[in-house]
Amino acid sequence: MTKARVEAQGIAVRYGRTVVLRDVNLAVEPGEFFALLGPSGSGKSTLLRLVAGFVQAHAGRLLIAGADIAGVPPWRRDVGMVFQNYALWPHMTVRENVAFGLEERRLPAPAVADKVRAALGLVNLLDYAERRPSQLSGGQQQRVALARTIAVEPKVLLLDEPLSNLDAKLRIRMREELRALQRKLGITTIFVTHDQEEAMTTADRIAVMDQGVIQQVGTPIELFDNPANRFVANFVGSVNLLSGGSALAGELRLPKAADVVIRPHTIALASAPGDAGRIWLAGTVADREFLGAFIRYKVKVGQTQLVAEEPHRVGADSYRPGETVHLGIDPAQVRLINSSAGGKS
Amino acid sequence: MRGYTPGQLAAAALIAAFLLAFLAVPVATVVYVAFAEPGGGFTLSHFAAFFDLALMRESFWNSLYVAAASVLFASLIAVPLAYFTVRFRFHGALIIQTLGVLPLIMPPFVGAVAMQLIFGRSGSVNLLLGEWFGIGVPIMEGLNGVIFVEALHYFPFILMNLVVAMGNIDASMEESAQNLGASGWRLFRRIVFPLAMPGYVAGASLVFVKVFDDLGTPLVLNVTNMLAPQAYLRITSVGIEDPIGYVIGVLLIGFSLFALWAAALALRGRDYATLQRGGSSLAMRALKPWQAAAAYAWIALVLLLVLSPHLGILLLSLGTVWSFSVVPDGFTLQHYATVFQDSPRMIWNTLAYCGLAALIDVVLATAIAYLILRTRLPLRGSLDLVASAALAIPGVVLAIGYLRTFRGVEIPFSGELVTSSWLLIVIAYSIRRLPYALRSCMAALTQLHVSLEEAAENLGATKRRTLQRIVVPLMMGGILAGFVTSFMTAAVELSATIMLTTSQSLAPMSYGIYLYMQSAAGRGPGAALGVLAVAIVALGTYLSHRFMRSRAVDLDRQL
Repeated sequence: MTKARVEAQGIAVRYGRTVVLRDVNLAVEPGEFFALLGPSGSGKSTLLRLVAGFVQAHAGRLLIAGADIAGVPPWRRDVGMVFQNYALWPHMTVRENVAFGLEERRLPAPAVADKVRAALGLVNLLDYAERRPSQLSGGQQQRVALARTIAVEPKVLLLDEPLSNLDAKLRIRMREELRALQRKLGITTIFVTHDQEEAMTTADRIAVMDQGVIQQVGTPIELFDNPANRFVANFVGSVNLLSGGSALAGELRLPKAADVVIRPHTIALASAPGDAGRIWLAGTVADREFLGAFIRYKVKVGQTQLVAEEPHRVGADSYRPGETVHLGIDPAQVRLINSSAGGKS
Repeated sequence: MRGYTPGQLAAAALIAAFLLAFLAVPVATVVYVAFAEPGGGFTLSHFAAFFDLALMRESFWNSLYVAAASVLFASLIAVPLAYFTVRFRFHGALIIQTLGVLPLIMPPFVGAVAMQLIFGRSGSVNLLLGEWFGIGVPIMEGLNGVIFVEALHYFPFILMNLVVAMGNIDASMEESAQNLGASGWRLFRRIVFPLAMPGYVAGASLVFVKVFDDLGTPLVLNVTNMLAPQAYLRITSVGIEDPIGYVIGVLLIGFSLFALWAAALALRGRDYATLQRGGSSLAMRALKPWQAAAAYAWIALVLLLVLSPHLGILLLSLGTVWSFSVVPDGFTLQHYATVFQDSPRMIWNTLAYCGLAALIDVVLATAIAYLILRTRLPLRGSLDLVASAALAIPGVVLAIGYLRTFRGVEIPFSGELVTSSWLLIVIAYSIRRLPYALRSCMAALTQLHVSLEEAAENLGATKRRTLQRIVVPLMMGGILAGFVTSFMTAAVELSATIMLTTSQSLAPMSYGIYLYMQSAAGRGPGAALGVLAVAIVALGTYLSHRFMRSRAVDLDRQL
């Protein structure tokens, strides 16, 4: 398959007076697995549908493999899309569904048969070719949708919340299969999701979106370690977010102009201050949640509540609500974000 | 983005032209003539003249009275039946479902004659009552007869709407009311009934309109002091110039529109009884023995009444002479022979006209549904509005409008008059049945998720190819159901038919039945033709239910 670069330059989309996307600039590299991450209404699906040609931009340019595709109808774009609800045609068998795009490209029948077989083999559904979509499980339906799309060997693969209709266990398995398949085909892939864990585990790079604006683009580790603003800090992973100039931030001797990001797992808990490399704060345990791998404590420090997570092992001590604990904050793990940097939390 | 293609625009323009020429202009003509002075100019004098005539005033009130009384009696039959079906677990439910279709497959004007023979003054029931108890019941006397026949024929509209509405009530609605302390009659009055109200109002308004506009039943029962028969009589006897006929037309349209509008108003924002996803309908209870007995007794009574026209018409078609006797004197197949000898042409005409009209309907309906639901064509909503407005236009009025509008117009090349050809019959059928086909196609397309089409476009299919390979095949159930509904309701259409049929050779079956029924000697063959018509409609109903069911299964599986 050909690998194509997808580039958005200053894209804006409005529905009536509602602005759905504003000034979106983005470059997805050839062969990259790229995630659009954001809450519902953030414009991520609209951006995907824009690439597919179902939505028109009011401003900006969209380039696929260097060519501006404004005005190219969906059926001539050569970008394959897997729909959230799979959109399998109930009146056709699995084979007919997969053959559809090849037939529309007027391929000779033997070539269609070969490519259908290859695509179904790729998703391990060769034995199900004569079934109707209604006779398949959710996971199988999803793989048919995937086979139907990759059978036409598109330049770009678009996945619209492909895992959201599956149950939790299957979601994790399909996530791995999807990633493996993408690596094997090397196809440029754009993946829309509202699940940060899904995005972090599968994508090479992620664009975090909110209210029609791209908040930050980066690898999962970059986003987690160096969030550009409060929104990204909140949306990616759990976080203690202190406003610049707050009492606690003062106690930590941090600049007033910046907000403070402290990840809960970087905070140490102890019954007495220890390790001089950390800044120790005394607090009272307000609540705790046991999550198996770790215990999450909510600790009241002065007027502020901080969240700290401690790994759990068999026989390890734990603190009870009401108990006094000392929180050790490692200045090297603290991240500052400019309060004036956009984004809303 | 423009949101539509030149092809779509052209299709919309063609449909609009058709609706304009054969619906809007003819109806506007009727309204215009009703308000126009002979030399032009606005006048209310025709209305004044109308209300000056005692017969017209009487007809007006009679029509209102008959329509309202029919709604009342239909409700009395339908409401308990609907409640039994939804509420209780018992074997009668299947019978009730059958009851919901049986009356509709027999056009009321066909059944009316049989009802006269069974319930009339010298009919079977009164003969028996007179013999045994020396009394008579004036069920079929004058307006009573019309009300009786119409209520028995149209109660399924209320029954079916109500069953659907009650079936859509989520069990959690009732359960939360019970949880908060409501039960029995209060539960029904405060929760179940208000939630089912939209279904009742929809059914009742439809019954009102149908009865108010019906021409065939009063004519066959020889009741002429009602509006629709008066319109027919004025136009056919006084002539196409008589303004009174047009005034009646305007009144008929006015009341139909008013009833539909009032229903829509009453329903606005009230249709909230939809079943939640994964929710279940109202809990079914087992009946106590005495309740079961009462329910079965009621069902048996209704079933007997509902079946009487069917039975009557069958007896009539097979009987030698049936007059002043409980059942016919002897039995024969002679009437069927007569029908096949005299009027195979009529049977053929019915199949041809109705097939053609139904074809026009589904093509128009599919196109309109697609234009409305899938394009951003300006004014696309008005197509739906105009096409659906045909529901409020009585057949008599449409026919009067055609006769007036196309008076003197010749068919190109043949020189034949449009008004004396079969063309207008077919077009009248298709215009009048278009709302049904449209509902069916709109429902089919609404249930089709847009992503199914987007997926096709994404894989390289153009709009036209997508329509051809995805949309139409997936809508096929709805399209076929629409075709069958249009076909079979057109097959028993009488009001436009008797005004637009100009010669025996062009007459369809419904006209033939009416003609035969005019004379005592013709009743046998008329009934035989009626049985054939009922057979056609019954077959159609069966087929459309099959399509609907397979379609429902398909949709269950989709997504």
